[in-house]
Amino acid sequence: MAVEPQRAARQPGSHNGVNPLQAAVSSLVGSKVPPPPSQPAMGFFTDTSLCIGCKACEVACKQWNQLPAKDPVWTGSSYDNTGALGAITWRHVQFIEQIGDGYQGDRKGSSLPDTKFEDRVAEAKSSGTIPQVPPGTALPFFNTDRWLMRSDVCKHCANAPCQEACPTGAIIRTEFDTVYVQQDICNGCSYCVVACPFGVIARDEAGTHTARKCTLCYDRMKDGMVPACAKACPTDSIQYGEVDKLKAHARERLGILHERGVGEARLYGVDDDILEGGLNSFFLLLEEPEVYNLPENPPRPSNNVVPASFWSIVAALVLGMLGIVFFRE
Amino acid sequence: MQETRLPQTIMERLAPQDFVERLAALTTGYTPDLQQELQEPAYYDRPVLAEPVWHWEIIWYFFFGGLAAGCYIIATIAALFGSREDRAVVRTGYYLSLLALLPCPVLLIKDLGRPERFLHMLRMFKVKSPMSMGTWSVVTFSFFSGTTAIIQAARDGLLGRWWGARLLAALPQKLIALPGVAVGFFLGSYTGVLLTATSVPLWSRSKLLGGIFITSAMSTSSALISFVLRLTNAVVPRFIVGNSLHKLERLEWAAMLIEMTGILAFLHESGRAARPLVGTAPTEHGMTFWRFCFGTGLVLPWLLQTLSLLGGRGSRRIGRGLLISVLVLVGGYFLRRTMIEAGHISSKDARTTLWNAKR
Repeated sequence: MAVEPQRAARQPGSHNGVNPLQAAVSSLVGSKVPPPPSQPAMGFFTDTSLCIGCKACEVACKQWNQLPAKDPVWTGSSYDNTGALGAITWRHVQFIEQIGDGYQGDRKGSSLPDTKFEDRVAEAKSSGTIPQVPPGTALPFFNTDRWLMRSDVCKHCANAPCQEACPTGAIIRTEFDTVYVQQDICNGCSYCVVACPFGVIARDEAGTHTARKCTLCYDRMKDGMVPACAKACPTDSIQYGEVDKLKAHARERLGILHERGVGEARLYGVDDDILEGGLNSFFLLLEEPEVYNLPENPPRPSNNVVPASFWSIVAALVLGMLGIVFFRE
Repeated sequence: MQETRLPQTIMERLAPQDFVERLAALTTGYTPDLQQELQEPAYYDRPVLAEPVWHWEIIWYFFFGGLAAGCYIIATIAALFGSREDRAVVRTGYYLSLLALLPCPVLLIKDLGRPERFLHMLRMFKVKSPMSMGTWSVVTFSFFSGTTAIIQAARDGLLGRWWGARLLAALPQKLIALPGVAVGFFLGSYTGVLLTATSVPLWSRSKLLGGIFITSAMSTSSALISFVLRLTNAVVPRFIVGNSLHKLERLEWAAMLIEMTGILAFLHESGRAARPLVGTAPTEHGMTFWRFCFGTGLVLPWLLQTLSLLGGRGSRRIGRGLLISVLVLVGGYFLRRTMIEAGHISSKDARTTLWNAKR
């Protein structure tokens, strides 16, 4: 209840002690409300080495944010029937099955043996000894098959392309340095949809017709609560906290995993300079980013404005000069 | 049925699939290797990017916006540097500019998820966002195009002879058109910059799309103006267009040459990312692009135009002139259409998106 008076004071409609003219003007154009004081940057650390693919994060997110269910589809390729992040899907659990000889991924730095499963079984049969299980890896015996899971979410980029593209100012950075879409401002122009290099933000075609994505539970954060997905995660695969501390924790966790022989573990969005500032919502991966459909180092769309404008001006000057030359007698 | 089949058959003769495929490989410098691409890691080939929601509204907006800008620019150049006989170009250009501009706001607003909130676009002036700058350029250009066309109408006596019309006719049209031309160049090119400042590989890998769009705006606009002038000349023989058509045709010829060079440079720079535009796979738009945009939309009219210009003024016939104009206009439309539609395919291609993000 202590929060209530403070909230009332922030309402644009309250004009106590303001002259009538100012009140009339601000009721027309909206009064300038001072932004809330800046808070430490908050974010997610999603540690895929702990994910068990339970999808509790997906469900908790849907429940808390009152997002409707999407039409059920059966992908037929894995347990992932959610498919992708979208306007009404703000957490998405991926299931990557690296099974059998068909798998050709990057095993550099991995402690896994490189021979075929059948060959190892045959070898064990002939020699009569079960080979040593590689440390910290795939379970049943000498099986190198892997089942990777990852809960995907908005990256809350330090330089967010969606926010840079937004023409209405609907997409803002909050006091927690997260990227937030103001639903009452967005007019659904969808430029953010093509700007996002991760395919996160989308226009809600069936509902609000505005652009929607993960808010990092802005409403919960304001009241000092943990976002719904992180709260629901049973294995601490999703961790929430101050970005600096989380990043330190992520590096520590990477060190532990490397020490225990999981050489293929790596961080995404922590130390690298993705979009020239890193991500506020970052990941620990057990494979190269592409395996998780993550672009290794996506170009920042707003960087294209200057070179594209330059070539436009060159073309305009040439055409203008030609026009002048041709129309002059 | 016979009539609709015929152009198709001709096209199949002139641009068969294997020829188009070789063109695509040659211009992009990339021969698709399915085995190689399947080795690249990806997640069940699910798209990395969200699909754009832009469809026919945006295609037509790009086309009409280009015409509005181009007609305005040509009319102003003719007004400032042309001779007395070029006044037909000025008049036609300003009227056509306003006419082409009229559908633009409607198309843009219809394309919004929440059309009733279109004014929210004017909350900000955001230099970093081509969408914001583009909206402002449409608003500003509407003012210039509207004012110039009204002055033109007053001078042409279309508004009557009362004092208001005389006042409007006395306004300095050329002075107003000067900043208008700058905004016109912006309007004609920002659409390409807008597409370049996205994450879609086809649109963003090369940075030439803005230049290509403004060049196409100039070629389609000179085609439209000369089309209208020629028709008027045919219907009203007293209406003398004199040397103006020749000037327009030379501008059109040069613009088409630059446009072809620009497109080839665009394809070369984009490489693999340009496949959805030029390739021949069932999802790719190469057959439409090479036939209707590059083939009959640029190369053919450019060759015809070259013949006309070489043949001197006497050999020009009305039929051929009108045909060139129509071909260029259709080609300009298909440039925008294939570019937008191939962008949808490009956004769905996870492997190329991931390849594009490796630096």
